[in-house]
Amino acid sequence: MESFLFYLFSTILLVAATAVITVRHTVRAALSLVLVFFTSAALWVLLEAEFLAVTLVVVYVGAVMVLFLFVVMMIDTNTTVLREGFTKYLPLGVLVAVTMAAEMFLALGSPGFGGMAAPAPHPASYNNVAELGSILYTQYVYPFELASVILLVAIIAAIALTFRRRPGTKYQDPARQVSVRRADCVRLVQMPAARKTPAP
Amino acid sequence: MDDPVNMQSIYLAIVLAPLIGSLIAGLFGWKVGRSGAHWAANIGVAIAFLLSLVVFKQIILDGAPSFDGVIYTWLVSGSGLHLDVGFRVDELTAIMLVVVTFVSLMVHVYTIGYMHDDPGYNRFFCYTALFTFAMLILVMANNFLQLFFGWEAVGLISYLLIGFWFKRESANYASLKAFLANRVGDLGFLLGIAVIYKYFGSMDYSTVFKSAHAIVGQTLSVWPGTEWSVITVTCILLFIGAMGKSAQVPLHVWLPESMEGPTPISALIHAATMVTAGIFMVARMSPLFEFSETALSVVLLVGATTAFFMGLLGLVQNDIKRVVAYSTLSQLGYMTVALGVSAYAAGIFHLMTHAFFKALLFLGAGSVIVAMHHEQDMRHMGGLRKYMPITYWTVLLGSLALIGFPGSAGFFSKDAIISAVEASNIPGASIAYVAVLLGVFVTALYTFRMFFLVFHGEGRMDQHTRDHLHESPWVMTLPLIALAIPSLVAGLMWAGPVLFDHPGVFFGHAIVVLPDHDVLREMAHHWQGPLSFMVHGLMDPAFWLAMAGLAVAYVCYMVRTDLPDLAIAKLGVVYTVLVEKYGFDRFNEFFFVGGGTLLGRFLWQKDVALIDGVVVNGTANAVAWISSVVRYVQSGFLYHYAFAMILGLLCLLGWFVVA
Amino acid sequence: MTFAMLKLAAASPEVLVLVGACAILMVDVFRTQEKNTKKGAEGAVLTYWLSLILLFLGAFVTFLGFGKHTGLALNGYFLKDSLGDLLKLFIYLAAFVTFVYSRDYLRERGLLTGEFFVLALFSVLGMLVLVSASSFLTVFLGLELMSLPLYALIALDRDSATASEAAMKYFVMGAIATGMLLYGMSMLYGATGSLDLGKVSEAVRHGDQKHIVLVFGLVFMVVGVAFKLGAVPFHMWLPDVYQGSPTPVTLFLSAAPKLAAFAMLLRLFMGALEPLAVEWQQMLAILAVLSMAVGNVIAVSQTNLKRMLGYSAIAHVGFLFLGMLATNPQGYSAALFYMITYSLMSLASFGVILLLSRLGFEADRVEDCKGLGERSPWFAAVMAVVMLSMAGVPPFLGFWAKWEVLRTAVDAGHVSLALVAVAFSVIGAWYYLRVIWFMYFEKAQDTAPLVPTVGMGVLLSANALALLYLGLFPSSLMAVCVLVMGAH
Repeated sequence: MESFLFYLFSTILLVAATAVITVRHTVRAALSLVLVFFTSAALWVLLEAEFLAVTLVVVYVGAVMVLFLFVVMMIDTNTTVLREGFTKYLPLGVLVAVTMAAEMFLALGSPGFGGMAAPAPHPASYNNVAELGSILYTQYVYPFELASVILLVAIIAAIALTFRRRPGTKYQDPARQVSVRRADCVRLVQMPAARKTPAP
Repeated sequence: MDDPVNMQSIYLAIVLAPLIGSLIAGLFGWKVGRSGAHWAANIGVAIAFLLSLVVFKQIILDGAPSFDGVIYTWLVSGSGLHLDVGFRVDELTAIMLVVVTFVSLMVHVYTIGYMHDDPGYNRFFCYTALFTFAMLILVMANNFLQLFFGWEAVGLISYLLIGFWFKRESANYASLKAFLANRVGDLGFLLGIAVIYKYFGSMDYSTVFKSAHAIVGQTLSVWPGTEWSVITVTCILLFIGAMGKSAQVPLHVWLPESMEGPTPISALIHAATMVTAGIFMVARMSPLFEFSETALSVVLLVGATTAFFMGLLGLVQNDIKRVVAYSTLSQLGYMTVALGVSAYAAGIFHLMTHAFFKALLFLGAGSVIVAMHHEQDMRHMGGLRKYMPITYWTVLLGSLALIGFPGSAGFFSKDAIISAVEASNIPGASIAYVAVLLGVFVTALYTFRMFFLVFHGEGRMDQHTRDHLHESPWVMTLPLIALAIPSLVAGLMWAGPVLFDHPGVFFGHAIVVLPDHDVLREMAHHWQGPLSFMVHGLMDPAFWLAMAGLAVAYVCYMVRTDLPDLAIAKLGVVYTVLVEKYGFDRFNEFFFVGGGTLLGRFLWQKDVALIDGVVVNGTANAVAWISSVVRYVQSGFLYHYAFAMILGLLCLLGWFVVA
Repeated sequence: MTFAMLKLAAASPEVLVLVGACAILMVDVFRTQEKNTKKGAEGAVLTYWLSLILLFLGAFVTFLGFGKHTGLALNGYFLKDSLGDLLKLFIYLAAFVTFVYSRDYLRERGLLTGEFFVLALFSVLGMLVLVSASSFLTVFLGLELMSLPLYALIALDRDSATASEAAMKYFVMGAIATGMLLYGMSMLYGATGSLDLGKVSEAVRHGDQKHIVLVFGLVFMVVGVAFKLGAVPFHMWLPDVYQGSPTPVTLFLSAAPKLAAFAMLLRLFMGALEPLAVEWQQMLAILAVLSMAVGNVIAVSQTNLKRMLGYSAIAHVGFLFLGMLATNPQGYSAALFYMITYSLMSLASFGVILLLSRLGFEADRVEDCKGLGERSPWFAAVMAVVMLSMAGVPPFLGFWAKWEVLRTAVDAGHVSLALVAVAFSVIGAWYYLRVIWFMYFEKAQDTAPLVPTVGMGVLLSANALALLYLGLFPSSLMAVCVLVMGAH
């Protein structure tokens, strides 16, 4: 049963992944990618990594892909230009791919990665989240911190590359708005009550 | 003065004085000005010269023991390799020191006049003094690494100086050519050193020389299935280095090109010092070469080929400096021949006399060139004798020395070489003997062709030049005179002591000759003093060949100036004119004058076409071409790059996983 | 598990740099408020000085702890040893020198922003992590932490199209290469069941796995490492990135990350996969020959100085790999020596380009060196020293680097490879000498006086003099390299 599910999801995953790069329509490609994430999540569940599977769905499908679709729909990508030369390079690409596949098959095709046994299944009381949490902040604290630094760098880089203050841009400064004084807004002008020279 | 520490500091001072002069001229030239620069360089070299004289007196006249010691240890490597800076000062070094510093000093003085108006004045003095430093390092080395350092440094500086005046268009190719020709030699040299290190486990001369006999008989296989004697391979590799530096066929192509540099450079680097580094090196390695007769034969044949065929090329040159350049090639061939027959002392002796008279000829040529407003074509000269008496007489002395006129320095050194070849029984000696004898004739012919064309006959320059002809200033004529003196008397004074009086003693342990190779000892039996040597020389074929060459030149360029052009057409006239005076038969005349000229021209063209065109330019072109084609692979397209990466990955996978 | 078990003392330099970089980031954010004042127009001067101080402190702490607390730390993800300490010292040095050289260039172009320094500092942190990595996980994280700021740094000059193109190329190619590296790691993880480099080595040595799977993974890892170092045929990004990036970034790229990538090479191949030495030795040999050939030959026809130095970097990597081929401590120490030498030479060479450039003039063509000998004899001499050293002319340091590598290669029996290396370095000498040629034998087209700031002038001179001094007295540096490799 388990292996049946594995092969089922794997097949769907591969088909969807192929679709991502072959379908003409960008939105369909993005949706195929969603399918890829879903099936990967299913595979992770089979590996008893339920928390990670859920996270994958929530983060990637729920957040990243939605954002991605949003961008795709906003930008009108001209797929015909992108596909120019596709047929021209196709034979070469296929040749390379086939060679690569053949080499991989030769190397990895025969069974056995050193013959390690699959780990024994955990009892139902096993708490995936708790285990992950405890190991992340003890055993893996260093890699975890490093990953967070990488995220920080990504933020800095993104801001540095995109944030720019164009001259002439209109913006509000709440601090100045709040600290505004009466004198800044109202100018009292002394005006005579009547004209000095009578109207003709 | 016998205190070793004291001597050591003298040696250090010899090396460092030119370096300091160079640094002052180069780095502080803007501050000390032109005169400051030339004073710094001149004083530096003069100090080196005076101290060299002291060393010469100590080692050679007083017979002080030679010095071999480490000045400072550069590096001690993990595997027990010591790299030191050290000096080995023995008789050979002492002679070289005096020659190098003397010629260098003369050239430095001369340069003050020659380069007077050049904007690169300070830079020039910086380079020449730096060159002197490098050459001294080379000569005084006591280990192979230091030798190699000096070797590379002199090459580099000469490369910089060749280009001192280069025109922009030709700059890249011509310099690349000199560079490649030298690099082929250097590669051989480096491999030779590598073999030495592998088999002797040391870089020190003394260690290597001491155990030289131990590796006789050992073999190595360069490629599987062939067994070569280690010592032969080593010597031939080292000699390839010498061929590059001393411009032996077929690595000679760069030397004529180097004439593009300023004339003082031609005199200093391309006549007197750097090009003789190869000769010096082989003489220094005599303890190795002696054990390989094969290598000696190779040396001999290469030298003989160069001596004769390069001389022929001198016949058809019209550029005054190129004539002298081809003559230098030919004379280097003579020195190499001397090395090949184990007459190292004769080779070094010729190196010394040649340094004097060839520097003299170059500086004389430079003096003429300056007077002619940088005109170098001899066809536009003539009759300069009455305008430039000092240059005329000194060049005459130099020319006589070059052709080996009895009594001149060149006579003793060249005759010693020719007799040594005659007496030798090294394979190839008989061919070499013929080549060097014929070379004497050719030498005389082209030397006096040049001499007559420049100084005698009708003036063929334009009126403006003629009006401004005058003798060069004293800073230029003084070195000419100073060089003319040893060109004249060095042989008379030194041939006995250096070569014959006590054969094998003069150079002490600096030069090793096996008893059955020792032709000089053989010849010493007949030595009865320089005068009798001269009288004996009058009966040698060499003398008569030289005279014949001189006479042919006289006839062709003074009496019948139409002859060279008509030589082939009017063979009968040539025959009758010359047969009356010398009795040479018609064939010889045809061969030497007409055929010689033709052959010279033919070889010159072949030389240009084949060696320059294909081998040297070919390599340079090929590198540039491949480079310009391959750069298109770098298309700038991301997917090409990614594809290249994936292809690379596939190939690696295919190679290691599938195979 | 307690806090003490982390052995945090071993990683004190990393902690310092992390905390410092974050602090500088915050300082810089608040500094922006004075941007419009006169002081602000000068650029992030305060950030600049703070960054220099941080690098100095990092180096100081590393130096104090040199060779102490060695062994694994941070739960086995961090390896502290003297090899790492040495490389870290040179990484700090390279970054420090880069900052000083870059200051004028950046200020003139309005690029002297806090982001430049903060990103560079985080990149340095990534390098430190990579140098001390003892697990596939930390190798990968360190590599990413090093590379990500580099991509951003290249694109920092947003108005430059070439810089954006260079960043794009580097980013995409880098992603592919990292993917391959990860794939290789996953293969080895699958075969050995561990991410720990020591355990992987142990497992591979006992050889229970299928050899072909290991080699398969190895190939991918070689590709990943070769990409970072720029070995042929994984070098394509390098010339474009070198040329396209702003020169300070090129300078940064050419020295410090190379040291870290070299550390990665050592950690992965000398450390984890030593039992597979026979295989990776052959792979590196192929890459070495290709790199020396392609790098040297193509460099000859380059007219852009930065691009030429890029190809020269490729050729140098060939030499570096040659040192690895001996697969013994002598060879590794020769390679280490080569790498350090190369980084010093590279710093000085781009330093001279920065010196020559000014606003609106990049000085990145070979012709721009024309007449430098007359314009500034001193800095022409500096450049000449660098070029001669790169060409491997004694007595400069570059000669010793080549010498040591060739010696170990010949000792290990790779005579033919050594000959190939010598032959290609002959070609290589040509284009270095061409620069010297232009400096001394061509008339200057541009006679503007060179007025470097004091710091840059002094540091650049010291850099070149170091090449000479270490060339004359190479024993100390060589001895250190031998010592940290344990190759007595």
